[in-house]
Amino acid sequence: MKGISISEFYEKMKDELQLTLVAGKDGFNRRIRWPEINRPGLALAGYVDYFAWRRVQILGKVEITYLWSLEPDVSRARIAQILSRKVPCMIVARRYCALKQLLEEADRLKVPLFRTPLVTVDLIDRITVFLDNEFAPSISLKGNLVEVFGEGVFLEGKSGVGKSETALGLLARGHRLITDDVVRIKLRERKYLIGSGSELTRHHMEIRGLGIINVQKLFGAVCFREESQIDLAITLERWDPRKEYERLGIEEDTIRILDKPVPHLTIPVRTGRDLVLMVETAALNHRLKSMGFNPARALDEQLIRSMRAR
Amino acid sequence: MSRENSNNSKVEMSFRIVNSLGLHLRPARMLANLTNKFESDIFIKKNSEEVNGKSIMGIITLAAAEGALLKVTAIGPDAREAIEAIGKLIENKFGEDE
Repeated sequence: MKGISISEFYEKMKDELQLTLVAGKDGFNRRIRWPEINRPGLALAGYVDYFAWRRVQILGKVEITYLWSLEPDVSRARIAQILSRKVPCMIVARRYCALKQLLEEADRLKVPLFRTPLVTVDLIDRITVFLDNEFAPSISLKGNLVEVFGEGVFLEGKSGVGKSETALGLLARGHRLITDDVVRIKLRERKYLIGSGSELTRHHMEIRGLGIINVQKLFGAVCFREESQIDLAITLERWDPRKEYERLGIEEDTIRILDKPVPHLTIPVRTGRDLVLMVETAALNHRLKSMGFNPARALDEQLIRSMRAR
Repeated sequence: MSRENSNNSKVEMSFRIVNSLGLHLRPARMLANLTNKFESDIFIKKNSEEVNGKSIMGIITLAAAEGALLKVTAIGPDAREAIEAIGKLIENKFGEDE
């Protein structure tokens, strides 16, 4: 089902937002279906056209003091008018005391009403970050994610080609594993691809012939990270003599993950090729390229210049 | 073509570089990708300098500009085909200059 229920929201955020439920406990099955917040000032003043009822409603200083300034029956009617839409929940910021009419209407119309000591801006920031993350497009891909010299490298390839062995080799050299086998990827802020692993298996790897190992116990905390951005994707595949592999790196190949382009390399695997070293070099070279230096292009320019000079 | 005739034959031919940018990185890659398809050993010589025709780094050290004359030698079972294909690639200006 799309969105997130208020009970899930409360479970996940009650500590960070320091939420206390003050009314509307029967509305916990309501759902947040829109990753944004709204401050219902205008709606409380009576203008309800375009009222963004799908959003989490935040009551700050303005809304609360305005409600206090109204006659009790007027404020009750205005509150009822907005709460009778399917608003997911309401949160009162800055430890403001919700007035009696608000508490009663929230109970009657079963809209969860929370209170928090956070100031309004801080509250809005945190909810927005949380909702953005919850509603972010996501996908699970087979492969592993390693952080090499600060670059998030997504390694993929057919089973048995050596992904886990390569990741293990990288760990032994002081790089960091985020996850082996399955990478959960989210698109944060519509910009960043962030990969993480499943909580259960993220310290574990399966290595053929060794079985399951716990890499955190073996290599310590330094080798491990919970999540990382994905900067580079590498496909490992068995060397195919009929295939032409990239030999220059002038043009950049990309793959799309969640519709975002990610720089991509295909590295053929063959006896005598040290994959750990290859991935380390690829990560460093990518770093260099993202700083604006393309070694192949630079050499090409130098070559053309020297041919002209003759 | 019979096997006996083609086995380890040596074929040599000279070609002039005709594309205006010369044998820079992209043409070098096309040439190396082509030469690697053949079983024959391939050597390319410019003036007194001879390089392995299957190595990109080798090819670019020649710095063969427009007008340079390259002597290409192929030794192996498919030497003739290799030379013909290389000649065609060079004459077609590596797909550059339109």
